Amino acid sequence: MAARTRLPLLFSKNLPPFKNQKLAHTEAAVKEPTYPPIVPSLTAKSKSARGRQVEDHVKKICASPVDEKLSLITRIQRKKFVVYPQTFARNADRWYQHFTKTAYIPGLPERFALDPEKRTGVEKEESSLPAGAQTTVPGVEIDAFADIRSLVTRMILQEHWHMKKRKPFLYREQEQMVGPFLRNLVTGLTYSLAKYNPLLPLSSLDIDPQVNFYWRRGQRIIPKGHRRGRQEPTRFQIDDQPHSQIRITQQLPQFTSLEASYAAEVPEVAFAPNLMPLFRRQYDNNIFTGAKLPDPACYGHTQFHLVPDRYHRDRMARQQQSDQVEVFLRANGLASLFAWTGAQAMYQGFWNHEDVTRPFVSQAVITDGQFFSFFCYQLNTVALSVETDANNPRKNLLWGTESLRLYESVQDGAVVGLNDDVVKLLVQFLVNQP
Amino acid sequence: MIRLGNPQLRIFRPNWFLTLVRPGKEQPPDTVQFRIPMEMTKCDVKNYLEKIYNVPVGAVRTRIQFGSNKKRNHLNQKVKQPDYKVAYVQLAQGQTFTFPDIFPEKERMPTEGSMEEMQEKFMEDEKQRQKLDPRRGGVTEWFGL
Repeated sequence: MAARTRLPLLFSKNLPPFKNQKLAHTEAAVKEPTYPPIVPSLTAKSKSARGRQVEDHVKKICASPVDEKLSLITRIQRKKFVVYPQTFARNADRWYQHFTKTAYIPGLPERFALDPEKRTGVEKEESSLPAGAQTTVPGVEIDAFADIRSLVTRMILQEHWHMKKRKPFLYREQEQMVGPFLRNLVTGLTYSLAKYNPLLPLSSLDIDPQVNFYWRRGQRIIPKGHRRGRQEPTRFQIDDQPHSQIRITQQLPQFTSLEASYAAEVPEVAFAPNLMPLFRRQYDNNIFTGAKLPDPACYGHTQFHLVPDRYHRDRMARQQQSDQVEVFLRANGLASLFAWTGAQAMYQGFWNHEDVTRPFVSQAVITDGQFFSFFCYQLNTVALSVETDANNPRKNLLWGTESLRLYESVQDGAVVGLNDDVVKLLVQFLVNQP
Repeated sequence: MIRLGNPQLRIFRPNWFLTLVRPGKEQPPDTVQFRIPMEMTKCDVKNYLEKIYNVPVGAVRTRIQFGSNKKRNHLNQKVKQPDYKVAYVQLAQGQTFTFPDIFPEKERMPTEGSMEEMQEKFMEDEKQRQKLDPRRGGVTEWFGL
């Protein structure tokens, strides 16, 4: 009797589970134990453990803010090849193209074309110009261009005619004669073109800045030592000191799309870099655009370079090495611009394993006082080390001109043969804006 | 020797001889490797090649190779291998140079009726006898009924 009275209570408890068959199955599934993911060990003395350490390091770098990223990437010092932008090595531009994965395109991009049809075509699109005004540079009136011409002639005369300079010391000619001229030219041009380029008043003009960049490309097998037989990445460092540079707050627009660079050709050099000749040293790994990280003007606009004093164009022509003249300038432009754009990309947080999402663009002018060469560089990829370069179709692009003469000579207080095209190109370079 | 500061020295019949060598390590195609006497300098090498052999020279780099003094003879005296200077010459005007193959492999055909021919024939017959029956298709002799 007592059991009978208790039965409804027991029965009522068990009722809900037996009504719904589904609940019984899900409860059984939840009770199964789960295991943590199976990954290689972290501290074992094995290749998979080393791989896991590298992966963890990469994830740590990806997850940290930009300044910590830079310090983690440049933390460990090892022997690296020091790449000098101004080098007298033969065929240096082919070697540098291989180190930086850059394709060279002779001539300048379409924006800087010197054809009159293209210029008139661009004029019609410019609504700010009054109808019928003929300009030599789109966006700049002809009076302003005449002003700029007179400014350039004044600078040239100032340095070479009006100022009484003693004969320059040995190998100090560029520093004494051309350096002040270029400085005055750059400051004068930026001031006069400030009203045509809204970025210039907000830009920062550095004189004698430092530009450094550190990257890894390629591998080699260590021939001797306790690490013999193992793969070692080849490290490079560029330490450059351009004469002056302009940094702006916004980025310049790209010259071509990223996909257009897939078809470009980069010369492959199968030999080790020390055959170039290139030498290895170990010191601080620096990545620097010209200003520290929190600076708002973090994107680059134009760099100006002076040619070193031992570079004598006529001496090279006498020794039948005229082709090396252009090679030297191209190598200089390539290395300097790659270092600058690479450092700009690093400042934005892109590095070897996180490739750039938008191309970084910069310009450079290399001169020895009379001859000017113009270079434009588009950085499409920073992923140059072996593991990231395996499936990377992107290439960096360098456009460059041959050296163009600015003026023939200075006689009797007047500049003879001032080349308008060169002045036009200078103005176009400085007016370039997004 | 040509040095900065020395008077201009013209040598019309130099007593120096260059030796073209095959590079031990792989060099770029425009680089030629020479062994030169110790007294020559980079300018000497450049002028030598340009004036005497009409070879357009771009750049010259030299180094001195130390000959080892470690080996000892039967009297336990140290034997010195001589030091020599090596010059790496990069050619101008885009020219290239590859060191030729001086000892190419030759097809050695033994002369008729000689010992070598009989020996070679005998070796070939032996090898033919060692091979298995081609009808078995690579299967060994002991595998079967």
